[in-house]
Amino acid sequence: MRNSRDTQLLCELSRPGRRAARLPACDVPERDIADLLPTEATASSPPALPEVTEPQIVRHFVNLSTMNMSVDTHFYPLGSCTMKYNPKRNERAAAMPGFADLHPCQPEETIQGMLALLYEMQEYFQEISGLPACSLQPAAGAHGELTALLVAAAYFKDLGENRSKVLVPDNAHGTNPASAAMAGYRSITVKTTSDGFVDMADLASKLDDEVAVMMITNPSTLGLFEPHMREIADQVHARGGLIYLDGANMNAILGITRPGDWGADMQHYNPHKTFSGPHGGGGPGAGPICVIEKLAPYLPTPIVRKEDSLYALDFNLPKTIGRVRSFFGNVGVLVRAYAYIRTHGPDGLREVSENAVLNANYLLSRVKHILPVPQGNRCMHEFVASANTLKKDKGITAMDIAKRLLDYGFHAPTVYFPLTVPEAMMCEPTESESKETLDAFAEVLFRITEEDAELLHDAPHSTAVSRPDEVRAARQPVLTWAALSEAN
Amino acid sequence: MKQEDLLYAKTHEWVAVAKEGGTQIATVGISAFAVEALTDLVFIELPAVGKQVEAEQPFCEVESVKAVSDIYAPVDGEVVAVNSALPDTLETLSSDPYGAGWIAKIKVTNDANLAKLLDHAAYQKQCEE
Amino acid sequence: MPYHYNTPEDKQAMLSAIGAESVDVLFDSIPAELKLGRRLDLPPALSELELDQHLRELASRNTPAGEAVCFLGAGSYDHFIPAVVDTIGSRSEFYTSYTPYQAEASQGNLQVMFEYQSLITELTGLDVSNASLYDGASAAAEAVLMAISATGRHGKVIVPESLHPEYRATIATYLENLATEVVTIPTSGGVVDPEILSEAVDEETAAVVLQQPNFFGCVEDAAEVNRITKKAGALLIAVFDPMSLGVLKRPGDYGANIAVAEGHTLGSPMAYGGPYLGIMACEKSLVRRMPGRIAGQTVDRRGNTCFVLTMQTREQHIRREKATSNVCTNQGLFALRATVYLAQLGPQGLRETASLCLQKSRYAAEQLCQHERFSLAFEEPTFKEFVIRDRENRVDDLLKSALDRGYLAGLPLGRWYPELADCFLVAVTEKRTKAEIDGLVSTLTKASERVSVPATV
Repeated sequence: MRNSRDTQLLCELSRPGRRAARLPACDVPERDIADLLPTEATASSPPALPEVTEPQIVRHFVNLSTMNMSVDTHFYPLGSCTMKYNPKRNERAAAMPGFADLHPCQPEETIQGMLALLYEMQEYFQEISGLPACSLQPAAGAHGELTALLVAAAYFKDLGENRSKVLVPDNAHGTNPASAAMAGYRSITVKTTSDGFVDMADLASKLDDEVAVMMITNPSTLGLFEPHMREIADQVHARGGLIYLDGANMNAILGITRPGDWGADMQHYNPHKTFSGPHGGGGPGAGPICVIEKLAPYLPTPIVRKEDSLYALDFNLPKTIGRVRSFFGNVGVLVRAYAYIRTHGPDGLREVSENAVLNANYLLSRVKHILPVPQGNRCMHEFVASANTLKKDKGITAMDIAKRLLDYGFHAPTVYFPLTVPEAMMCEPTESESKETLDAFAEVLFRITEEDAELLHDAPHSTAVSRPDEVRAARQPVLTWAALSEAN
Repeated sequence: MKQEDLLYAKTHEWVAVAKEGGTQIATVGISAFAVEALTDLVFIELPAVGKQVEAEQPFCEVESVKAVSDIYAPVDGEVVAVNSALPDTLETLSSDPYGAGWIAKIKVTNDANLAKLLDHAAYQKQCEE
Repeated sequence: MPYHYNTPEDKQAMLSAIGAESVDVLFDSIPAELKLGRRLDLPPALSELELDQHLRELASRNTPAGEAVCFLGAGSYDHFIPAVVDTIGSRSEFYTSYTPYQAEASQGNLQVMFEYQSLITELTGLDVSNASLYDGASAAAEAVLMAISATGRHGKVIVPESLHPEYRATIATYLENLATEVVTIPTSGGVVDPEILSEAVDEETAAVVLQQPNFFGCVEDAAEVNRITKKAGALLIAVFDPMSLGVLKRPGDYGANIAVAEGHTLGSPMAYGGPYLGIMACEKSLVRRMPGRIAGQTVDRRGNTCFVLTMQTREQHIRREKATSNVCTNQGLFALRATVYLAQLGPQGLRETASLCLQKSRYAAEQLCQHERFSLAFEEPTFKEFVIRDRENRVDDLLKSALDRGYLAGLPLGRWYPELADCFLVAVTEKRTKAEIDGLVSTLTKASERVSVPATV
């Protein structure tokens, strides 16, 4: 497939003189460009973009699309990414001209519907998290982490406290320590126990007055609810620190428990996960944050306010950290999340989490007989199995299983994360899958573990491409068409 | 260089110390054991010549496809030379780890840490464990 | 609920396989005192029909471009989006997939990333591109962090006032807790003053951030800015308008080391400011300091050419606190749309679009300035935006009255530039017709006549 004509590179399809776009004739008196712009600033010819026709473009990209697995075509239990169904009504909503064709600098009186929706989203996010203030500005979860840590830094600066450390458990997403470093903090790793929980003794040894924030993912990346959550929060608070909740796993607890009620001071949401925004082959996401009252003055601006029945943008937060991006935020993602929340209502959101947790536990009950799940019999919305025994006994790795699953028409779980579990396979089925699908997945997984190791080492066998040479890709990077012709 | 004659850090660097004039120059590389454990190295970020290094602190990095590993300075000192051919010939790290695969030469300013290094037999023992 | 499968029978079967009495039991690991114990206070569920009606009602309380004639710019523009972009962008296999962690199941996305990177390097005249960042402003902030790390200079970065105020604010926020100072230099003539820049740049300067064309729409002397920047050993970060590269020199051609842009204009809607597309390209020597995903070409075990995510050791999931950035999720779908858009436009289409923006905006500026109330705030040549000074200094009234007649006529600048409180920024894209431009001119002129009654206050 890969080398069929239809998936050649655009530059290979290009022929001089072909074109897809015809533009209108210039209807104003046209002047020589040399009269309008200084010649030293102008280019003699446009960039050498490919020259192709519209039918070529469509065939090219449609053929490429068929080389992807996606939620709409396959079961996609990629742990930590919450690959749930992306409702089509959300797409229609976001594409309505009344939302899609709004300029971000329009006067407030021309965007009252938009502001109403965004105001409601602030309220919904606050209610779901149990935290009273919200900024919709951050563009992704990691961006929300950075924003919240900058908010915390501004708060401590205002208090005149000099705190330099952020605590991060060793099974956290890599974004946590990376965000801490970007915000100017030193990231200190806190160990977790073999049960997958924060090691309270290690926390005690690292918790001091230098600690600004402890970042915690709860439910954790192992799909477990942290049993010492309240205690952790109390201890951090007792030393004057703040708790940041990485909201990556909110899909497990909607309407069941709220971070604000267990002592979280700040959290981000991933609306593209929890509230069904499509993942777009890598993005866009959004990363709105909610915080406690005393941190509200430091949030990025603007915030949407409501006075009587009118909505307005409030830029007047004297202590704001400023802004972390242009304009308002990833509004298109928030419109989809709004449609999702309104579709479900309070009971429906709770059912989302109940079904996500039921599906994950059911899959766990089937998988644990095939692959050990070191952290136990129960989970929240996801669990982490280990291929470590299989590797020792038969030389079959988590990667082999992941690749072989593709042959059977399943996307692979997240593999080799978290780093605390050897040969990790992190499975998150989400609520929008059926028992039949979960059964089929478990059966295939069992079949694979019975297969010949050699067959698995070479898997996948049915895809256009199998086991790309990543060493070569990294040693001699070929990152563009131009580099390609240099390499040949 | 014969690996039997070298000193080793617990963190898998090897060291050869030579006297040049009145100063000690430590040539540093990584052991064959380490190269094998790191698998498929794809990049090395050499330290800058002139960089001051501190014993047991990272002073350079090697990368495989999905891991980054620090290389630790075995002594206090100043980097006086680096093997600038290495980034383009990473395979020499495995083909000749104790010769053409050397990484940097450090002018020793404090050799106290040399006493902590292992001899070949002790290092072999550590690797077997 | 519309998106769940589990029937009561399914649930029973699943619970008995789990060995749990009820779904509630599955939440036993959450301490009882931490449970909410009430319903969330949210509005009740809506059917799809009710939702659609509700959203249409909300949307109807907005005035989108199309209902009003949009002359707003400042980093978000009303450019045309060809149908083919929507067709490809709404393919399920693209928009419901995720980051290509399993290359074999993601060759479509990976090849698109590779094509996108190739197009961006061609567009910018630089060696490498990543697979996208969030938006133009955060990409500019990331570029500054890159420059600090590459030069090892932690002293300062220089941002002219002609750089988008929100980009400057974003850079300042990112650097707030780091050692580096953001030095803002005035651009009272509408562009960077070489003398002021030379004064400001020194051996502690990591980078100069130049927007070309700048926030006021003016074309900067990029070559001169580059010369001054390089003389001090600093890096030049260019913030460019992709559309302008149909007529203007590419960032790489005037010496930029890193180029960033807001890329929503390449086939994605204004969407009230996001999600957008952060474009970033740089010289080869900086690639290991670049944030974000990068796709590369390689071969598979059968020898077939294929694509993978590469140079991942830069990234947070491997290097954690030492990563080049914390970025994880990017704007893949908009990178796809930009790829389709650029293929659709081709070199001539890009040139013609750029030329239409240039011709129409200059026509609009000239027509407005025929009226004695209006003048250009700056004498420098402009590309598709320009700053108009209202000699009567009643910008808000003027724009309000234009809005009443169906024109989003421009953006008042007083919020960011007190000295330009009598000015507004006007953008003209290829979509604006002569009739619309003439309508704008006549509206603003008429508004002028109406308010030119002597004020008694």
